Amino acid sequence: MNSLVFLIPLSILIIVGAGIALFWAINHGQFDDMETPGLLPMVDAEQAPADVKGDPKASS
Amino acid sequence: MSGCWHCGDALPADPPQARVAGVSHAVCCHGCRAVAEWIGELGLADYYRLRSGPAGRTPDLAESAKSAAAFLRPELARHLVRPRADGNSEAIVLVEGMRCAACTWLIERTLGQLPGVAEVGVNAGAQRARVVYDGNAVSLAGIVNALARVGYRTLPLDGAALEDTRKRETRDAQKRLAVAGFGAMQAMMYASALWFGAFDGIDVATRDLFRWLTLLAATPVVLYSAWPFFVGAKRLLAARQLGMDVPVALAVALIYAGSVVEVVTGGPDVWFESVSMFVFFLCVGRYLEMRARHRAGDLSDALARLTPLFADRIEADGSLLRVGAVELVPGDRVLVADGGSIPADGVLESAECRVDEALLCGESAPITRRRGESLCAGSTLVGTPATLRVTRVGSDTVVAGIVALTERAASTRPRLAREGERAAASFVARVLVLSVCTAIGWALVDPARAFAATVAVLVIACPCAFALAAPAAITRALAALTGRGVLVVRPDALEDLAFATHVLFDKTGTLTEPWIARDRTQIRGDLDRDAALALAAALAQGSRHSLAHAFAAAAPATLPAVTSRESVAGFGVSGLIEGRRYRLGRADYALGRDAPPSGLDDAVVLAGDDGVIAAFHVEERLQRRARVAVDALAHDGLSCEIASGDARAKVATVAAALGIETFVARQTPADKLARLASLRAGGARVVVVGDGVNDAPMLAGADVAVAVSSAADVAQATSDIVITGQLDALHYARALARQMLSILRQNRRWALGYNLAAIPLAALGFVPPWLAVIGMSASSLAVVLNALRIGRAKGADAAPERATVAPEAILRPRASA
Repeated sequence: MNSLVFLIPLSILIIVGAGIALFWAINHGQFDDMETPGLLPMVDAEQAPADVKGDPKASS
Repeated sequence: MSGCWHCGDALPADPPQARVAGVSHAVCCHGCRAVAEWIGELGLADYYRLRSGPAGRTPDLAESAKSAAAFLRPELARHLVRPRADGNSEAIVLVEGMRCAACTWLIERTLGQLPGVAEVGVNAGAQRARVVYDGNAVSLAGIVNALARVGYRTLPLDGAALEDTRKRETRDAQKRLAVAGFGAMQAMMYASALWFGAFDGIDVATRDLFRWLTLLAATPVVLYSAWPFFVGAKRLLAARQLGMDVPVALAVALIYAGSVVEVVTGGPDVWFESVSMFVFFLCVGRYLEMRARHRAGDLSDALARLTPLFADRIEADGSLLRVGAVELVPGDRVLVADGGSIPADGVLESAECRVDEALLCGESAPITRRRGESLCAGSTLVGTPATLRVTRVGSDTVVAGIVALTERAASTRPRLAREGERAAASFVARVLVLSVCTAIGWALVDPARAFAATVAVLVIACPCAFALAAPAAITRALAALTGRGVLVVRPDALEDLAFATHVLFDKTGTLTEPWIARDRTQIRGDLDRDAALALAAALAQGSRHSLAHAFAAAAPATLPAVTSRESVAGFGVSGLIEGRRYRLGRADYALGRDAPPSGLDDAVVLAGDDGVIAAFHVEERLQRRARVAVDALAHDGLSCEIASGDARAKVATVAAALGIETFVARQTPADKLARLASLRAGGARVVVVGDGVNDAPMLAGADVAVAVSSAADVAQATSDIVITGQLDALHYARALARQMLSILRQNRRWALGYNLAAIPLAALGFVPPWLAVIGMSASSLAVVLNALRIGRAKGADAAPERATVAPEAILRPRASA
């Protein structure tokens, strides 16, 4: 019973926090396009090292 | 590596070399070389490593440079550029040929490197890029030009307002879905404590605590996520109608209000978790439906591509000024170049010209127009440049009329899916009546238990399984179809497809494809037939014209190298092969401006500087699997017809080859629509399969509109289903639609049976809370699992894998004089 006093407010806090974070993300366009960003991360991750050994003088 | 390093087209024998990041790569032409080397110079050569498919054809840089000045004109900029509060400008461009993640990456990087560009957002699905930029540092023309230099054709869109409404709608739906999801999860979690309490015993204080917690979790779900249902129900009732929203809103409101009363009075049961889950499932269904609708809207921007953005206006002093097509007013005089698109409806002022109106009326050969005759916007000029006096602009033009016709037909589309909703609505309405009866019955017997039993009926009958049945089956069917090259734009179309009785085919481009007849090729020079075909195929290589494929199919495998290739839309192509200039195309183009020798008027002519080398005759042959598709559909008892704008003899030949008895020829878009209307008046449910713009009204008016992959963009925009593979996928789609419907029926029967069995028990007060919840969940789960069977059973794969029609099935129109 004592654990409930602690756990229930915690769960409410977490859910409210998650809700606020999600609303912020939606309002800032994070979910506007569900397809393109899914394609991009892998590309960007590979980009950084490749840039170095590529053509250094061309990249400004 | 075989093929051009940039675009993947076949390589000429001595290909130009592009040096990118210190390595030489063979490319097919100098346009591709320039693009590849420029991408290298920008430091973006990784594009080639990352991409998953070859790039599109390189656009014409000279043309885009010529248009740059017109972008600066304030009259045009007002339509395309939106000023932002922070002083920057915003524009949305449609990017053609965006094919994979690497394209998205390349476009973002390229634009991001431009000075003055503040923000770039690329949406691969909708093929658009949104650019925010400082108008003082860079212009829209600069942005378009930067994309042209890396190989993309672009078109600025005038759709900023639309984008905003859609964005607001999407975000709104996402928030409601998220709140419903979170709320339902929490309510379920707290409710499980109550269920275990029901087994193991729970003291009243703890029980009440958890009840208040579930109330807390369910309140935002009901008051926020379910709000659109209340608004919709109110609107429906105000209009004296009974839609799905009414019983849904009523059930949600009653269950919620009843549970609140239970909590306050300490009654035996609460149903917050049920109502939360119900709202969540409904939100999921609505959200999926909204996304499908938006995707269809993206396609309709294709209309913007039909008429040109610019026009060359002849000023009072006789000079030419490139202006936006939106600036033209009736009375303006416009010069249209060789192969240019006509920007507005007008009257011809030059002596004579030839126009290709294939997109508008389906006529495959260009038509000759004389001074004083009218020309339609969107058609392509073939022959000499022409001057025309503008008579109608914008929404008054013929092409805009076709579009309007399309929209009107689309708005009167019969929607069978509404019947499904109505069935669910009437089911819920009956449940409501039953609840009232329960309430009255218990009020007479034992008033204390009346409310509990009434709400128990509502929960047991909570139409979760009903609400899930249709979305689950449709989603699964769409996924299965996408894997087979069938894209469903309007999910309701599957229901219509399953019940179709007639199939109306367009001919050109749908049932047939152009084809070069080898044995009818006339050789006039000293080359043999293969050599002539090889020259022609080499010249045509890389062209978008459907004939380019026909030449490639007819020619031998190895082709000579072509340099300085030029193409004139509507005429043909020319190029240097081994130092000699060849031209391929219409006789008057290939032979220069001299009078063409008689007998070659309808042939494609290959000519060198010293005259005709060969004349090729273009014939039609059936699409590879057209016969299989028609046979399979006919076998299923559908009657097939052809409605074509082409000449009667040609249509008759195709109909005979396919075993189709009913056909009509020489049809205008209005004729086709009338034919469709008469079929529908006779009670038929019609599937229309087409491609051109002239089919668009007919497609829009059909019960099911199917566009084939080569279809003009507008036809795809109007259609319900797009087939990207072979035509016989239509039969597979129909089989799957029928399977989907039968599973949907099973699911509804299951939901109904479960409810019929459980409701009387609930009404009599025999159902304890844990059993009600398990029953409800199991019922929903069974529906989803059953829907997953769609597309797996052998029954749906009944499309016969018969031999494809041999290429000899060439269609010859009866002796054309």
